[in-house]
Amino acid sequence: MINLLFFGRLGDCALDVDKSIFYQDDLATPLDVRDWLAKAHGDLGKALSEPQVLVSVNKRVVKWDHPLADNDELAFLPPVTGG
Amino acid sequence: MSIYVSVQTKDFTVANEYQRLRQITHSAGAVVTFSGLVRDFEVGSDEQGQKDSLKSLTLQHYPEMTERLLEEIIEESQKRWSVLGVTVIHRVGRLLPNDQIVFVGVASTHRDDAFQAAQFLMDYLKTRATFWKKADVDGTEQWLEAKGSDTAAASRWEGSKHD
Repeated sequence: MINLLFFGRLGDCALDVDKSIFYQDDLATPLDVRDWLAKAHGDLGKALSEPQVLVSVNKRVVKWDHPLADNDELAFLPPVTGG
Repeated sequence: MSIYVSVQTKDFTVANEYQRLRQITHSAGAVVTFSGLVRDFEVGSDEQGQKDSLKSLTLQHYPEMTERLLEEIIEESQKRWSVLGVTVIHRVGRLLPNDQIVFVGVASTHRDDAFQAAQFLMDYLKTRATFWKKADVDGTEQWLEAKGSDTAAASRWEGSKHD
């Protein structure tokens, strides 16, 4: 399984998204997952495609073509606003 | 070097945090502390020119990743300045205007390192640590956008390593 997390405003766009997806060959990278999500959830796909959105795997920021492994935690991170 | 990092819902007491930093070592000649407060900012205005004001802020973060990023930011500050102790406390959950939201404290041999490291820690914390703010403005909730001024403040430290 791949566990999905959506933070900040991305969470509001992903309320009806299943946060646990089966690990499979055609979802090999965060980019694949994003494109797959965009097919069923247009607004979410648009929000995830904004250039400032970062992606992390197992709590480390990675590139969008980072290879995914089974049981990875994949998180989508909008620009941070702490402090 | 003594590091204390906490992401917490509960409030903090500046005097206690100051004492913690003060007691790390007798080599410290300076302690700089910074407290950030929730500001009652005004958002937009209606047809009568009435400004809407902030009712509350809700802070979300990415547990474990946030703490690790804060530790990395502190390690980076150590490479740039001579610091003996650093405390970073960030609150999460629902906060009201005038509540304390963030604390940064630095103990150092001399004041210049402590001032600069504290400034650096706040600039990097705001632009790199995984926190997100949602504002309740008169009953309407909205996620806040990252500010260009914060990004600009953080960028001043790039390529300027202190020896």
